[in-house]
Amino acid sequence: MRKTLVAVLAAGGLLLAAVPVWAHHAFAAEFDADKPIKYKGTVTKMEWINPHAWIHIDVKGEDGKVTNWMIEAAAPNSLLRRGFTKESLLAGTEIVVEGFQAKDGSNRANGSVITFTDGRKLFVGAPANDPGAAPGTTSK
Amino acid sequence: MRHPFLMSIASLVAVAAIFALTAEPAIGQTAKAAPAAKNGTQPKTPWGDPDLQGTWTSDDCIGTPLNRPANLGEKLYYTEEELAQRQTQLARQQENDRQETVTPGQRVGTGPPAHWGERARRPCKQTSLVVDPPNGRTPDLLPEAKTRRIPEGAGNNNPKADSWEDFSYYIRCITRGVTGSIFPVIYGNGQQIVQAPGYVTILQEMVHEARVIPVDGRPHASPNIRSYMGDARGHWEGNTLVVETTNFLGDRTGIAGNGGGTPTSDALKLTERYTRTGPNEIRYEVTIDDPKTFVAPFKVAFPLTQEPGYQNFEYACHEGNYAMFDSLSGARALEKRAAEAAKKK
Repeated sequence: MRKTLVAVLAAGGLLLAAVPVWAHHAFAAEFDADKPIKYKGTVTKMEWINPHAWIHIDVKGEDGKVTNWMIEAAAPNSLLRRGFTKESLLAGTEIVVEGFQAKDGSNRANGSVITFTDGRKLFVGAPANDPGAAPGTTSK
Repeated sequence: MRHPFLMSIASLVAVAAIFALTAEPAIGQTAKAAPAAKNGTQPKTPWGDPDLQGTWTSDDCIGTPLNRPANLGEKLYYTEEELAQRQTQLARQQENDRQETVTPGQRVGTGPPAHWGERARRPCKQTSLVVDPPNGRTPDLLPEAKTRRIPEGAGNNNPKADSWEDFSYYIRCITRGVTGSIFPVIYGNGQQIVQAPGYVTILQEMVHEARVIPVDGRPHASPNIRSYMGDARGHWEGNTLVVETTNFLGDRTGIAGNGGGTPTSDALKLTERYTRTGPNEIRYEVTIDDPKTFVAPFKVAFPLTQEPGYQNFEYACHEGNYAMFDSLSGARALEKRAAEAAKKK
């Protein structure tokens, strides 16, 4: 069992090695590639903080017990450039999160895929498509 | 002048006050600067210096490697055909970014999710950020530099994490160094330039360094005064802002995105050149000369552009740096698991 864990972690290391060095800090150090999670929960708050925003959700277990999870999202500045604002995700909204749990086993995870319950993505849009971009642009 | 350090603190405060007052009109400045350059002339400040003010970004070369892949040899620029292909890729990426729903069955990976990244608006014409030597690669490290510890960065799945001090200065929200703060990375590439008589200040979005650069001809500070970001002195060569930075502490950050890679030494000297090449474009060049780290000096260059609506946002990082907490607690958890496994044997 433990050998399997080590093997999976090692494989994860190979995958991550392909990620460019500037691909942000710390998935590797923070989260466990061997602990994928998928939860539906209700937003209790969103922390708009650097280096990454965190979404807090209440997740109801099969036994009815509610646990609070913290989900790591993008940098607030990148979210702002996508048109996401402080009003975009209000407490009470139901969302679905897929990601990986913190290595220390606490209720924190990165949010690889975050959607509303109907499958729409939370973070849509790119900042690269500004109308009337600078001369020389080919993106018009 | 008797207290140059206090003077620079005072000017930093003054420039910070200017930022506070001018945060909103930054876009207006951009619009104001544009017409003059369109006539083929360079915009000037009211006191006659070339006017580089505005908020600029290195976004267009996001993803361009620092070192050119060896198979591309001495080819610095992509062909028109290759650029057209890259344009198609960018358009596809933008299309994907705008998809409202997740592709069914999409694999959940451990890399940074797509929505984290900011995007190039047009293809980067270069194959590498290093433009000289002609092979586009960072010169070899000297033997003494090879022994320097590289602090834990992003790509290590099992970092040494005995202390927060094992992690890079970037991950610790302290500094990315001069080049690490301007080289394009996956987000937060903003550079706001504000000028005052005798000063140019560059406020960098991520980790939020404000480089206050005197351009009044004063000499460098004493070599005894050293810092993460060094001591910068600027002057104008025609319309080009030339900034020479020395007095680094050394052994803090390296010459790669976010200050990664082998840390440079206290002998590092950077010579940067900012030249407006169009109403919305600056050609940025930096010569890296560190005789205690690299066998030869080398040069990195790429464009900075102004984009409609683009502005710097605030970046307080340390207070919300849960990543550091998680990284340390993650390492402790792994140790505990290993200890329990050893006991069972």
